[in-house]
Amino acid sequence: MTEGLKLDVERRPNLAVIYTDGYINNQGGEEIAEAAYALLDDGYRSLLLNLQGTKIVNSIGISILIEIIEKMLEVKGRLAFCNLTPTIEKTFHIMGLAQYSTIYPDEQAAVSELQSGAS
Amino acid sequence: MNSSRARPDAPASRPAGVGELWRLAASADISEWESGAFQTRLVRQWCEAHGLAGAQIYRPDGGPVASWGVLGKQETGLEHDLVLYYAPGDEAGASGNRTAAPGAGTPAGSELAGILAVGLRLRELADELKDRKFHDNYNVVTLQAVYDVGLAIASTLNLEELTEEILLRAVSLLDARRGAFYLRDAEGRLALAGTIGGGAREVIDAPPAASSDGAALEEAAAGVIPAAEHSLAVPIEGDGGSGNVGLLVVADKESRTGIGPFAAPDRRALSLFANQAAIALTNANLHRQALEKERLEREVELAAEIQQGILPSDMPSVGCFETVGWSRPSRQVGGDYYGSLQFAGARRGMVVADVTGKGMPAALLVSTLDSALRLLIDDALPGRESTPVEASAELVERLNKHIVESSAPNRFITLILVEVDPGNRSVRYVNAGHNPGLLVRRSGDVTPLGASGLPLGLLPSATYRVDAVEMEPGDLVCLYSDGITECESTADEEYGQERLETFLRERRDRPLSEIVRAIDDEVSRFGAGLPQGDDQTVVLIRCRAA
Repeated sequence: MTEGLKLDVERRPNLAVIYTDGYINNQGGEEIAEAAYALLDDGYRSLLLNLQGTKIVNSIGISILIEIIEKMLEVKGRLAFCNLTPTIEKTFHIMGLAQYSTIYPDEQAAVSELQSGAS
Repeated sequence: MNSSRARPDAPASRPAGVGELWRLAASADISEWESGAFQTRLVRQWCEAHGLAGAQIYRPDGGPVASWGVLGKQETGLEHDLVLYYAPGDEAGASGNRTAAPGAGTPAGSELAGILAVGLRLRELADELKDRKFHDNYNVVTLQAVYDVGLAIASTLNLEELTEEILLRAVSLLDARRGAFYLRDAEGRLALAGTIGGGAREVIDAPPAASSDGAALEEAAAGVIPAAEHSLAVPIEGDGGSGNVGLLVVADKESRTGIGPFAAPDRRALSLFANQAAIALTNANLHRQALEKERLEREVELAAEIQQGILPSDMPSVGCFETVGWSRPSRQVGGDYYGSLQFAGARRGMVVADVTGKGMPAALLVSTLDSALRLLIDDALPGRESTPVEASAELVERLNKHIVESSAPNRFITLILVEVDPGNRSVRYVNAGHNPGLLVRRSGDVTPLGASGLPLGLLPSATYRVDAVEMEPGDLVCLYSDGITECESTADEEYGQERLETFLRERRDRPLSEIVRAIDDEVSRFGAGLPQGDDQTVVLIRCRAA
């Protein structure tokens, strides 16, 4: 069904999109954090996590995502999510991730808003 | 390594009061505490108020709490004047380790240490609160997952979707790195139905389902994910004590520092998901059975239509003989048969037969009987020189052989065939183990037309005798199945042949269709309160006045 996490990063003007495919657990979360912090170091302040290929997130993965959100808030950046399964979206709402990040139904909606809002 | 000293050119010391330090502490928000900016400001204010060049404050374990100003003996060449340690639980710092600096007038740092201790503790509490909130929220996620899986079970019967959903929830909520879901296949083995994290074996050599030995099953499951270091497996129990029908396995519980074994609450949570999986499997099986039942019911309806087509819609009149027939199966399809057969010349045969058993197997044999009767009659019709008597006997004997060959063992048919000739009022009959037909004379006398041979299908060499009676105008013959005479009342009493004879005697001059309806009403009334126990059939033949 599901193997380890595969990541793809697409750098766009003022916005980087991280595509995930697989399980966001400790390993997967760390990989996402590594990619996100590298993008921060490169000056990106708007990150979009496209979870289209992810059906499962555990609590360790969620705690890492929260850390990334906190890091983004510290540098006045923002992290957004799109293409969440209903289960993951519900989990993000319960865990409070939705309070400090925006969840979009799809990438088109996310990109259009994030790029228009980017400075 | 930690120091504070009075600046040589410092103005006269104006100690910062405790109240002032607390007011400053109270004005800071949590983010300032978290970033450490406030601690620095506090130390700075305190140092400036005491004319110190700098100060460093450490916890007893050596971890830094706060610092400001000119620090470090090596960098500054200054002597240590004051060393302050924060001791947890001592807000005022009174019992904290304090190294007094040499010389008089050194300011006491206990107030500052106390405030910083409170601040540090607040920060620790904030972190604890954050962790607790995280876990509380995650408990809600767990409850939500159990609820959602329950809803999913109720809303879909797609077993593949449900097993994936249950596996995803179990693996994520138990923070497992891997997981696998096994279901028993047709050969009784546990075959992999889904996996997360990969590396799971395709098939497990597990104890048979009937043993219901969960412990042995878990033991067998210990190595199902060879790459895993810690596994937890829970059997999925089938409904109605059918034993274990599957296995839910999770492996390698994750933490931020790596993987470890699962704890007792994890086993309880996994059992919960295994129970839900069992419900999903039961539901799916019930749904499959319901679909199968529906399909069978459709087939039975079709069979009933076919059988209805076998039985005649009208019984013909033959010369002076008028006939009528009626049958009601106890189920959708039945094992009773009646019909009218065209013999050579203008002769006709009226048949009532009863196949052993009820329902579909009996109905199939009825179909066989009907086909065989018609084929054998067609075969006997052209150019046969045999007398009517010989023809009837031969027909039943050949029919018997056919039934012996084509029916299952222990299946037989009772049959009565009454042959009438429009040219005269002589009636011939063959009774193969059937209930005696009843000849009700116009006078009211009743003569039974008893058996002259074995039921069909028992003995291939069975022979049958043809008997004959003369019918007079107004005489009535009633052929019936045992569903009429063996109809039971709630008093556990059979309707019986005697009641039927009396009933017929009283109505022998009524129109045939009225008599049939009356028999229907009579046995229905007699058996009221009980389901119809057997198929019921009646054929009436009356010799009309010339």
